[in-house]
Amino acid sequence: MEEPRIGVYICWCGTNIAKMVDVEAVAKEVSTLPNVVLANNYKYMCSDPGQDLIIKDIRVHNLNRVVVAACSPRIHELTFRNACEKAGINPYFFEMANIREQDSWVHTDRTEATKKAIDLVIAAIRRVRYHEALQKRSVNVDPATLVLGGGISGMTAALEIANAGKQVYLIEKEDHLGGQVVKFDLTFPHLSSAQQMIRPMITRVENHPNIRVFLNCAIRDVSGYIGNFKSTLQYNGAGTIELEFGNIIAAVGLKPFDPSAIEEYGYKKFPDVITSLEFEDMLRAGKILTKYGKEPRNVAIIHCVGSRNRKYHEYCSRVCCMVALKFVHQIRAGLTDANIFEIYADMRAYGKGHEEFYALTTHKQIIFLMYDQQKKLPVIREALRDDNCNMLIEMDELLSGQSIEVPVDMVILMVNMEAHENVKEVVRAIGVSLCGNQFFIEKHPKLDPVATTTGGVYIVGSCQGPKDIPDSVAQARAAAARILASIAQGSVPIEVTTATVNESLCCGCQTCIRVCPYSAVSFDEAKKVSVVNEVLCKGCGTCGGCCPTGAITCKHFTDRQILSEIEGIMSMSY
Amino acid sequence: MTPEPVKTKLKLAVYWGAACGGCCVSVLDTHEKLLDIVAAADLVFWPIAMDIKYKDVENMPDQSIDLTLFNGAVRNSENKHMAEVLRKKTKILVAYGSCAYMGGIPGLANFFSKPEIFNRVYLETESTNNPEKTVPVEEFTVPEGTLEIPRMFNDVLPLNKVVDVDYYIPGCPPQSERLIDVFTLVAKGAELPPKGSVVGANDKTNCDECKRKKSDNKLLKKIYRPWEIQDDKETCFIEQGVICMGPATRSGCGVRCVEGNSPCRGCYGPPPGASDPGAKMMAAIGTMIDANKPEEIDEIIESIVDPAGLFYRFSLPGSILGRKVL
Amino acid sequence: MNFSPTIVAFLCNWCAYTGADLAGTSRLHYAPNIRIIRIMCSGRIEPTFILKAFKEGADGVLICGCHPGDCHYQEGNYKCLRRFKLLEKFVAQMGIEKERLKLEWISASEGKQFAELVNEMTKTILRLGPSKVKKTLEVEPVN
Repeated sequence: MEEPRIGVYICWCGTNIAKMVDVEAVAKEVSTLPNVVLANNYKYMCSDPGQDLIIKDIRVHNLNRVVVAACSPRIHELTFRNACEKAGINPYFFEMANIREQDSWVHTDRTEATKKAIDLVIAAIRRVRYHEALQKRSVNVDPATLVLGGGISGMTAALEIANAGKQVYLIEKEDHLGGQVVKFDLTFPHLSSAQQMIRPMITRVENHPNIRVFLNCAIRDVSGYIGNFKSTLQYNGAGTIELEFGNIIAAVGLKPFDPSAIEEYGYKKFPDVITSLEFEDMLRAGKILTKYGKEPRNVAIIHCVGSRNRKYHEYCSRVCCMVALKFVHQIRAGLTDANIFEIYADMRAYGKGHEEFYALTTHKQIIFLMYDQQKKLPVIREALRDDNCNMLIEMDELLSGQSIEVPVDMVILMVNMEAHENVKEVVRAIGVSLCGNQFFIEKHPKLDPVATTTGGVYIVGSCQGPKDIPDSVAQARAAAARILASIAQGSVPIEVTTATVNESLCCGCQTCIRVCPYSAVSFDEAKKVSVVNEVLCKGCGTCGGCCPTGAITCKHFTDRQILSEIEGIMSMSY
Repeated sequence: MTPEPVKTKLKLAVYWGAACGGCCVSVLDTHEKLLDIVAAADLVFWPIAMDIKYKDVENMPDQSIDLTLFNGAVRNSENKHMAEVLRKKTKILVAYGSCAYMGGIPGLANFFSKPEIFNRVYLETESTNNPEKTVPVEEFTVPEGTLEIPRMFNDVLPLNKVVDVDYYIPGCPPQSERLIDVFTLVAKGAELPPKGSVVGANDKTNCDECKRKKSDNKLLKKIYRPWEIQDDKETCFIEQGVICMGPATRSGCGVRCVEGNSPCRGCYGPPPGASDPGAKMMAAIGTMIDANKPEEIDEIIESIVDPAGLFYRFSLPGSILGRKVL
Repeated sequence: MNFSPTIVAFLCNWCAYTGADLAGTSRLHYAPNIRIIRIMCSGRIEPTFILKAFKEGADGVLICGCHPGDCHYQEGNYKCLRRFKLLEKFVAQMGIEKERLKLEWISASEGKQFAELVNEMTKTILRLGPSKVKKTLEVEPVN
């Protein structure tokens, strides 16, 4: 091993770090450690001048290792690795100490925070001494794309990619395309026709030369890795096909919540208590009628059914308030004299044109009644003969402060949108994760909402979280653009920090073989040693963690590197 | 005819610390090759076989002994003193056997403290009758003078914790054939491996030489003590549910215990890629537990009644923790 | 002398480390005694690391990974749990109080839970006092 010559940089991050960590003291403390050539501090290491400082020092002082103590490596590890590369040293001869997110931002005692920063920098210095040069690797990208879900998100993405001349395989678990939108009559806030939006799209998808549609098809298993996926699909009951594709878009959407669970609303008990989607059916058929075939004189819409409630789903389903207001317009248009009651917990009119639409609705001569989800849900019960209506809604009305009874002939439940039953199988097949609400987890909630932490797999539409059509379409086009970019580049970088087996140490015990979830470890019967397929290996290190001989090296996370890091952390403690 | 120049014979010493005598027997077990050893070397110090006194060794010139095989662990002040003396007087000091290398079986005493040991041995054992509660003391004055016995340390130590060690020959005891290999190297004046190497053993662990059939079925749904199964004598012990230290133990012993249908217990110590074989074996066995729920994992682990004694039978003092916390 | 414990923590990159970062971006406050080591997956963690941390003087060792079923690499966290349970038994035999070694699942969105976990564990370690491991290993053989 060449003698390490380490340059250490402590970042102020403006005042973010400097106000709680004595950065000058840290630099001074570590400057005398073995192998440290220089230790400087600077206001913004990630800035151009900051990076130039590293590059200059590498060249002038012949540094071969760099440590930067700054923000989380999840933010800028790549930035500084690139700077190292620019300066001519392998980017993996670099290590970061997180003294912002995990130090200055979370501690309040300057002495303690500085002490901690020193420990973390020493740990990084000790670790980086044992870093090795690692080479970047990339794989080709198959230009075909697999889209899961034939709703508006899936179809938009499919068309975007297909129009660019690339092959798309669109699979849909139902026997028709269109998702939820095909069940709508009009859309908010402009009351434009959903059918006129979705039907031509379905036709374009079905007829597009670059899109192959597979109906009655659910994803089961996907093998491979970014740019090189493979899956055998069963569609339409009997057909089987093996497909190869480079990228995957999950656009599997959500489904309506079944309100039978909510006793207060008597869904399935009262024939005229219906869900929002059942009401859309009625609107598309053109007539608003009770089960007795009569026009209702009193219609109530109840918001937040299954939403914002610890017993069912805690999250807000986002679009239902606007849909309810849309219904108000449609009911008023169809039944000029009907009493319309908007029974809501909050009114969420967040988007472009939404607030104006809400204001417009208040002029439709309807009654807004507010209830408190946390206290008591409205209760629907059978009306008596004298009540002159089908049902009564008993509720504690918040705005008046009174307990009232609302006469109704029809109740529309604004049901929450929740994950499909098979969503766990889908995520297992494509290798992504679900959050507590069973929505797909994005790579970064603010900065990367359509990518996932699994290379080559994107998520669009409401499966990532309830959203309306504009947002779904935006995500679909975003994911399509990302995929087209990777297809245009032809290759994508893959994991570098993989595992390797030292054949001269491997005893052939085969403990590691079944441990790898990517089947990257196999046994060479001839040599009687284990072998890692470094293209399949994702670098998790689980095989390294189980090897009884230390024959498996987990690149960049070797025993020696981690043990040195531990020594460094504790070196000042006694 | 010019007489052949007299070849100076090597000076060889064998000493024992906290030992059972087995390592000394392994020297004798070289059988007829012992004559070759004696032909090439003068035994200058070997308490089990010769009446050379400590004073005599202390009076030897420094570095005058060519090769010392120090077996047994360092357990008391006498062991430490002689280790230091022999280090001074020896060119090549070898930690011979598992005790000198890693602490060995005596190392299991590191689960206890000195007071606990004294209490048990001199006062509490079921067959002891000691109403005056007499226990050994380091100094005892009698009219004729003061008698001294070595001070027992609280900890059992491997040799390298008290002196610089040149080479390690592992085993409980080391295989006599391996001793001959090493001795021949030294006698020939051949180039020796880097200082601090383990010699007389291979780099790979026992699975490499074990004749039993292995597969990737390394999943433990239940763990058995060796006597609880009908060993089929063909399949890897671990795959039959019996823990064997083979995967984490250097080969070179000929996998004799497994050949004798007993699982390996790790006396040859760790391979080059690992410093603490017990920790590595726990990593492997832990991973093999075929359950994901904490209660189910616990149930399977219940059968491992003494993880420390099982995974660190020979290596406790030399391991990362070294001893039980006092 | 006032006892200021040091807790060495191993956090997996995708869930726990991200959760700890979130505690930072949310400016949550927690005890400054923890020192975090980042690994890609809790499946990388093996007994050698934990024992080394104790030997170097750590008063507590914390392991955090993704919740069961959510491991970024499918099942690494289960392998970590299995090794942990066996190690727990061993560590107890070696006279180390079981509260000094802890495994807890932290997701990427659980910044608050991470801060609470650190505070609670620090309190526990303060109550237990300094770890005796390093002192026990002073090589000069002592009575």
